[in-house]
Amino acid sequence: MSLVPQLIMNSLIAGAIYSLMALGFNLIYGTTKFFNLAHGAMAVVGGYGVYYFSKMLGWNLTSAIILGIALAGVLGWLLDRFIFLPLRRRKATNTITLVASLGAFTAIQAIVAILFTSQFQTLDKNTGTSKIYEVLGGIITETQVVILVSGLIIMGALVLLLKYTMFGKAVKAIGDDESVAKIIGINTDKIIAKVFLIGSAIAGWAGIMVGFDTGLEPTIGMNLLLKGIIASIIGGIGNIYGAVLGAFLLGFAENFGIWKISSEWKDAIAFGILIIFLIFRPQGILKK
Amino acid sequence: MTAISTKNLVKKFNGVRALDDLDLEFKKGQITGLIGPNGSGKSTLVNILSGLFSPDSGAIVINGFKRKRINPLDNPVYSLTRTFQEVRLFNQMTVEDNLLVVLTERNVFSALFEKHTKYHLEKTKEILDKLGLKEKAHELAANLSYGQRKLLEIGRALAMNAEIYLFDEPFAGLFPEMRKIVIKILQELKGNGKTIILIEHSMDLIRELSDEVIVLDSGTLLASGQPDKVLEEKKVIEAYLGE
Amino acid sequence: MEYLIHLAILFAIYAILSLGLNLVVGYTGLLSVTHAAFYGVGAYTTAILLTRSGWNFFPALIIGMILSGIIALLIGLVLSKFKEDYYALASLGFNIIVYSILLNWQKLTRGPLGIPGISRPSIGSLSFSENWMFLLLALILLVIVYYLSRFLVRSSFGRVLKAIREDEGAIKIFGYNVNVYKLTIFVIGAMLAAVAGSLFATYITFIDPSTFTIDESIFVLAIIILGGLANLKGSIIGALILVLLPEALRFLGLPNDIAAQMRQVIYGVILILLMLFRPQGMMGEYKL
Repeated sequence: MSLVPQLIMNSLIAGAIYSLMALGFNLIYGTTKFFNLAHGAMAVVGGYGVYYFSKMLGWNLTSAIILGIALAGVLGWLLDRFIFLPLRRRKATNTITLVASLGAFTAIQAIVAILFTSQFQTLDKNTGTSKIYEVLGGIITETQVVILVSGLIIMGALVLLLKYTMFGKAVKAIGDDESVAKIIGINTDKIIAKVFLIGSAIAGWAGIMVGFDTGLEPTIGMNLLLKGIIASIIGGIGNIYGAVLGAFLLGFAENFGIWKISSEWKDAIAFGILIIFLIFRPQGILKK
Repeated sequence: MTAISTKNLVKKFNGVRALDDLDLEFKKGQITGLIGPNGSGKSTLVNILSGLFSPDSGAIVINGFKRKRINPLDNPVYSLTRTFQEVRLFNQMTVEDNLLVVLTERNVFSALFEKHTKYHLEKTKEILDKLGLKEKAHELAANLSYGQRKLLEIGRALAMNAEIYLFDEPFAGLFPEMRKIVIKILQELKGNGKTIILIEHSMDLIRELSDEVIVLDSGTLLASGQPDKVLEEKKVIEAYLGE
Repeated sequence: MEYLIHLAILFAIYAILSLGLNLVVGYTGLLSVTHAAFYGVGAYTTAILLTRSGWNFFPALIIGMILSGIIALLIGLVLSKFKEDYYALASLGFNIIVYSILLNWQKLTRGPLGIPGISRPSIGSLSFSENWMFLLLALILLVIVYYLSRFLVRSSFGRVLKAIREDEGAIKIFGYNVNVYKLTIFVIGAMLAAVAGSLFATYITFIDPSTFTIDESIFVLAIIILGGLANLKGSIIGALILVLLPEALRFLGLPNDIAAQMRQVIYGVILILLMLFRPQGMMGEYKL
């Protein structure tokens, strides 16, 4: 039966999207150490940005995508500049910052709903005529190929960035100990600002991909983010490889988990796994 | 008579032995000074005795109860209480509440329906008087000065009306007037037959207050005995100079 | 006038929700973002018992509270293993799991179709189908919940809760079983949320899962933070403000669905501003 290969294909695609969210989230968590619950909103902004530029303004797709990513990145940068940085300066607790990020998420999601209505939108211009490939018994669309490939490219790029550049070393230093990093001369605020920019841009790209693959609604942000967080926790929070490992594991668990039951239970399965990991192995599979 | 004893007590942190096969005895009804250079294991010992951590191996006997590890919920049963070196008060509660909260019923249902008896309120007043904090009764603990906070910590321990008191550096950072108050409290406790273990860095205070001194170094027992004799011992002096 | 009564009823329902959550978050320091789940359990229990088994509202209310309490016991046991941010995250997860069950266990809940035709409460020949009568019922319940909460927080039990919030490890040394206390207040909070749920179900006479999402949990959290954590009157005032605010927007002529989204924008922004400038809220006795 080509059911299993299709399940595998679906798992890989889900895993790729979750890893995009997990990578961005982990990057930010690694330096700032708080759960940025506004991260999901960046994905929504990216997706709707492309919708606005390509479908409403009629600009060409490539420019729209670049602008969409940029929009998400800049928004993340702004949130850091005007909310998270001031809170860091006041030595606010993680809880306060988490609550502030909840507020930001709520407001942004609602603004998107006001501007674009809560209706389901798709970025795909012509559904049905997009290319389809058959791989080992499973069907995959052109969009989904892009998702898989881009996921791997971005992960690779991040690994290179973090391991071999000064920026990457600074990010690691801040993650280990922010005050020490400051003492040795790293401009932590600037580096963190860039981390927000990059992480949010990645989330924006994830949102755009989801927009092409399944479609956009203002409310998809939190769900995407939470899957990214679950992936990060399963894989080992703070670890880039862990984020990707966790993301693909989650993708497989969800898609094979619903084999015999309705697909609407995916979320319950995902969160059940989260709770189990939080209880028995909160540090995740891979160490930092 | 022994109030507390440990046998072969071991505690490791990240592979380092904070307590290394420790055999100790704290006698009842006296003040035992617990001293030693930084990192010798004094606070770790007190943390284990009060149930904050579990030891990796070994046995503890408190007030006749033999245990492999202390469950802090049993502290009232062992009649044991303590203060913390880093002052762990209930900051956004009033001074009075900080005391009342340990005077009340432990059981959830009883705590719901308990009426504050005259005893609780009088005991609170009595302790605040002793500490010189009577006017601050309705202040938030967070708004007290450092010295007042340390006094309140001690007051909270007093409210427990326990037999055994573990004081972790109660004098650190106190002005002379407040030191006098704490000294008076310790002497009063001893006069009532209570057992006190006192972690302290000031050798003058140790000499003045302790009936016996136990010296730890690198998690083992270095010396014990009369304060004057122990503090003259060569190896004790070397341990401190080496740090 | 009818409109004012409607607002007053909504206010009463949210005030009950807020009081219950404040006991858990403000007094005990547990950052629970799952309150809507218990709101939903109360609502659905009452709805199902009334529409399918012809029960009277008042016994159904009690059953709803008991069921909510039992579920809270289970969830609370799991949550007790987590600290702070992980607690918030896990609680979010439980909200999503419960929502998923409400949405997907269609045999019981009719899923997205919801449950219509819920009758108004009645005692013998006295019926609460008139809105002003229902308001009376709602206010009576609110007063009971308020005085119950006041009794709790003024008792020794309440004092121990605050100590747990301030320093859980320290109060444990003095012989207090913090896990039992935390579980108890979490269950009580859930039971109070179920009261609000039962009221809501019989007021609107129709419920569906969309009311009981994490957005609603975040909303109640915003109310108690605005009003002030660990201040019961503050929760009442916070509920008043955040229920009236979107209605004020309706007067400005905004269409219905945009007004709903604007409410979210506003309380999202309020959360951010509170975290930045006044974490203790209006009358709070506790800063996050």
